[in-house]
Amino acid sequence: MTITLRIILVILSVISFILCVKKIKESKLKVINSVTWMIGSFLFVFMSIFSSAVEYISSKLGFMAPVNFVFLVIIAFLLVQNFIDNIRISTLSEKIKDLNHYIALEDYKKNNTSNDN
Amino acid sequence: MKVLIIIPAYNEALNIEKTVKDVITNTNYDYLVINDCSKDNTKEICEKNNFNVISLPINYGLTSGIQLGMKYAYNNDYDVVIQFDGDGQHEAKYLKDLVESIEKGTNIAIGSRFVTKKKPFSFRMLGSSLITAAIKITTGKTIKDPTSGMRAYDKKAIKEFIINASLTPEPDTLVYMLKKKMKIEEIQVEMKDREFGESYLNPIKSMEYMVNMFLSIIFIRAITRSKNIK
Repeated sequence: MTITLRIILVILSVISFILCVKKIKESKLKVINSVTWMIGSFLFVFMSIFSSAVEYISSKLGFMAPVNFVFLVIIAFLLVQNFIDNIRISTLSEKIKDLNHYIALEDYKKNNTSNDN
Repeated sequence: MKVLIIIPAYNEALNIEKTVKDVITNTNYDYLVINDCSKDNTKEICEKNNFNVISLPINYGLTSGIQLGMKYAYNNDYDVVIQFDGDGQHEAKYLKDLVESIEKGTNIAIGSRFVTKKKPFSFRMLGSSLITAAIKITTGKTIKDPTSGMRAYDKKAIKEFIINASLTPEPDTLVYMLKKKMKIEEIQVEMKDREFGESYLNPIKSMEYMVNMFLSIIFIRAITRSKNIK
């Protein structure tokens, strides 16, 4: 791994970590949702510190350059994150649908009882 | 038998009055208009005519509307739910045939355009034939008009809609129901062309619909187990 890549990884990790903490303090991000981001930033810092380990693993796995392995890890991390988000969105959408139905049914009940009186 | 006709309506101000009056004059079943947060004055028209209408605060699509109707039917202990389009394409005089079929013990009765009549050849009907083929391959049963929006469900099928929130009022649900060992019968009906308003199916949406249906039928519904896991 080149020194430039290692520096970039560390800087980005630190920025994302700070951003995470800031957003949690502003209560715009839930702690549970930030866990993956935090783990991710630790992972990238470790990867840049112990670059010889990364080089060892990537050569054992048959990558042409360690940087390719680093990119693969980042892409995998993003895909997992994306998948988790998709599940969250679906769950939220179901919950909103249930609320939507609940409100409609309550409104209907209210209207019908007021009409009867 | 307690029968509920659910009429989902989204921006159907031009059709809804006629549709509901058709239902009232030609049947003596209960009905429920589900106004899916229409942007036009569908709601006002229903209220003015004193129709039995339930209005959703957020537009959430046809599936959500039908599911709400199922919830209402389940809570009020209806035996049969009929899904009936609010756009004036369906005729209420055929509904009693669907109910008769349910009375004889079928779980789902479909108001089909092609039981005794031949399917005309058009791009849309090609899609319909492909879905028929997919259903035939996955379940071995032939459903000639899987995309028909006029369907009657019995209590067992209503229960499935309550248990499983992923069920839609689309052909893939028929595969699910067939895998649950339900009996489906098709009844010959006539359908009119849409008089006012625009259909939601444009070419891109149609393609999307077909891809969705195929993926759902082949990869999701085809491996449905016949018994519910508790």
